[in-house]
Amino acid sequence: MSDERDPASTSGSRSPLVDASVAAVILEVVDFSKSFGPVRAVRSLSLDVRVGEVHAICGHNGAGKSTLVKALVGLVRPDEGVIRFDGQEISLRNPHDAQAHGIALVNQELSLVPELSVEDNIFLGGLDVPLVYRRRRLSEHARSVLDQLGLRHVQLGTSVESLSIGERQLVEIARLLVRDARLLILDEPTATLSKPEIERVFKATRDLVAQGRSVIFVSHRLDEVFELCDRVTVLRDGQRVATHEIHEIDRRTLIEHMLGEMEGARAMVDHEHAVPGSGETVVRIDRLTVPGSVEDVSLTLESGIITGLAGQVGSGTSTILRALGGLVPNASGTVEVRGKKVLLNTPRRASAAGLLYLPNDRQREGLFLGQSVERNLTVTRLRRLSRLGVLLRRRIQRAARELATMAGVSLDRLGSPAASLSGGNQQKVLLGRALQLEGTALLALDEPTRGVDVGGRADIHNLVRDAARQGTAVVFSSTELDEVLDLADVVVTIFHGRIVSIVPRAEASASAILADMTTSHASSTEASS
Amino acid sequence: MSSVMARVGIERRLLGLADLALAVWLAILAVVTVYGAATTTGFLTVSNGKAILTAASFVGIIAVGLTVIVLSGNLFSLALGQTAAISAMVFLWTLQWGLAAAILLTLLLGLVIGAVQGFAVGAWGANPIIVTIGAAGLMEGMAVWLSHGQSIIPPSNETSWERLGQPVFGLPAPVYVFIVVTVILAVVMRRTRFGRQIYLLGENRVAARAAALPITLLTVGAFGIASLYTAGSGILIGATSANASLLLVGSYTYDAIAAALVGGNAVTGGRGSIARTAAGAIFIATISDMLLLRGYSTGGQILVRGIIVVVVVVLTNLRERTR
Repeated sequence: MSDERDPASTSGSRSPLVDASVAAVILEVVDFSKSFGPVRAVRSLSLDVRVGEVHAICGHNGAGKSTLVKALVGLVRPDEGVIRFDGQEISLRNPHDAQAHGIALVNQELSLVPELSVEDNIFLGGLDVPLVYRRRRLSEHARSVLDQLGLRHVQLGTSVESLSIGERQLVEIARLLVRDARLLILDEPTATLSKPEIERVFKATRDLVAQGRSVIFVSHRLDEVFELCDRVTVLRDGQRVATHEIHEIDRRTLIEHMLGEMEGARAMVDHEHAVPGSGETVVRIDRLTVPGSVEDVSLTLESGIITGLAGQVGSGTSTILRALGGLVPNASGTVEVRGKKVLLNTPRRASAAGLLYLPNDRQREGLFLGQSVERNLTVTRLRRLSRLGVLLRRRIQRAARELATMAGVSLDRLGSPAASLSGGNQQKVLLGRALQLEGTALLALDEPTRGVDVGGRADIHNLVRDAARQGTAVVFSSTELDEVLDLADVVVTIFHGRIVSIVPRAEASASAILADMTTSHASSTEASS
Repeated sequence: MSSVMARVGIERRLLGLADLALAVWLAILAVVTVYGAATTTGFLTVSNGKAILTAASFVGIIAVGLTVIVLSGNLFSLALGQTAAISAMVFLWTLQWGLAAAILLTLLLGLVIGAVQGFAVGAWGANPIIVTIGAAGLMEGMAVWLSHGQSIIPPSNETSWERLGQPVFGLPAPVYVFIVVTVILAVVMRRTRFGRQIYLLGENRVAARAAALPITLLTVGAFGIASLYTAGSGILIGATSANASLLLVGSYTYDAIAAALVGGNAVTGGRGSIARTAAGAIFIATISDMLLLRGYSTGGQILVRGIIVVVVVVLTNLRERTR
């Protein structure tokens, strides 16, 4: 941050360098409870965040993380409990209040306006943009913040829509830094970022806490928690399970806290599954090309084999899967399914050929959020659940129950709108509609566990393995190394729309894949870390 | 619509507010209606009840058909009045080949007119409002050209059509038709694959595409049904007035849309039902009838209807947005 600014919102007592271990408390939540109808989302939760620390919040889906976060930024009002900020009790009625106190949230759904420039986005809606707009001074300030976040190459006048998702996220953070937020809440900030971008966010985060700011870090990625955070609070079923200094706790304990002992033990089981493939080629992709995104990708997908496409956001992995799903009409090249060439210009054709694509954006493109879970689960198989066009209601109910059971979605929720489920359960519903579907040759899963917690992730991986075991060919894309190594039988690494390497998992090493994912071996712009 | 779901924060509060506003509004309407019914001379009579039902039938048939378009997420058709008018004209003109042939030909024509519009919307992604305005203009032009701007009257040797406008067991035939076609369509929307898929398409078009739903076919079906129903209503209108010209276009388009909206169907699609629209049509007919009996001018009637529509649309929209 530039030093000459001293916004009015900052109290004089703030010192630039604070020792985290004896530090004062910036945020204190006492006995916070919140219910939504009959659902008790959070129960008398207490927690404190110190000045100058990165405080991790971990927990299963539905543990109450997002309710807590929403309460802290004024999107949810507590039923009971007190929030103290800087020693004073505050009431947060809306996001504006939170911003005025210096509490800011960065989440996955970015609030940038794509059509506007980086600079305009940074200052949009800011409380302290003076009436007389002193552009030059603001610009300098914005510039310095962007530089600090490693966005040296991004011009202030560039429109946000031309930036990568990762860059947008950093712009969002820049926006909050310009506002001089004293408590930043990063909600799954790294889910869509590439490794160098994550490094930048982490470096920026460390700089911030060194300046005496505080950060709440909500993440499913435990590695990042251990790498970045000073303390960690674990939530389960709306209650606080434990708060630990990070050096007092190991990964296993943390997972046990999150899942409860029983499930924790299950989640820790090594996934030693033999490659079950029959080796029969189901889908042959030959020289698939999508202008500007995918070049000359040739792949063979075999029944029972899970192929993982590893690549950064924007590397083209998602486009390859979308093309298989018939959603990229300008794709060229040939795709053969069981030896027969298929024209994949519409999703109808793709699905008729047995290629089943599940989108990565479950809210926008995956689910019918306002419709019931039952309707979402059965959407792909209505033909078999009807006779002469008339729905067979008994069979639909039975099918929905079976699928929900298989996918691990509570049967009580079959009648609820999909929107009322947590992210992990929504993902299970999405996957559920592809399970046990007659005539499926290939399951193409685009980021199957994006934004899903550890437990949900393990469940979803098991579902995918079951599907493969039954002879379906599976291909998925992921930006996460862990996931690729955990789930894939064959790892295909994609960089800039081209295949860099194809390696059986037994021979795959994390470092080699990471190297393939992040560089084209020769050219690299940011490969300094 | 009625399903209860867990919601969060601001949205929850807004929702409570929207629900409350809706409840208050319904209460006001109920009070006004009851008061009006009690104080309007001639309102609470059997014959007036029949008049209301009859008036509701013509618009109601069109409106329930239109509901399929609304539920499919394709907004509205603005060609309904024209479709009804030319259907009436075609019906009276084709009566020269007998009643059955006339009915069949008219319905077929209606179906085709709607299907073509649906194809343009579904297959090419054309804007439904623009497509249907265009279709309305085309139909008017064709009708004027083919009829030389004159009214069509039924052939003098054929009288079988007169039964369509006459009472059966005390109620005019259109009322029975309205009830039967409403029930049929309600069952279709609830119990068939087509109906289910229409709801899903209206809920989220992008997801429907990714889930490989037959979007073109569904859209053709939605517009086809709306137009088929409108043609059916056109037949009844023609048979009742025994003379058909473009003057019949009248306000059918607007009235049908108003019925669907007053019923509380989501303008954005995916939520609502046939029954809601039928109730909306009857409600509007009731209010119009009451205003008529109380001696309001046509302008006053239209104004009151407009106010009701606007308030309901705002309230349901608020509810939908906060879901």
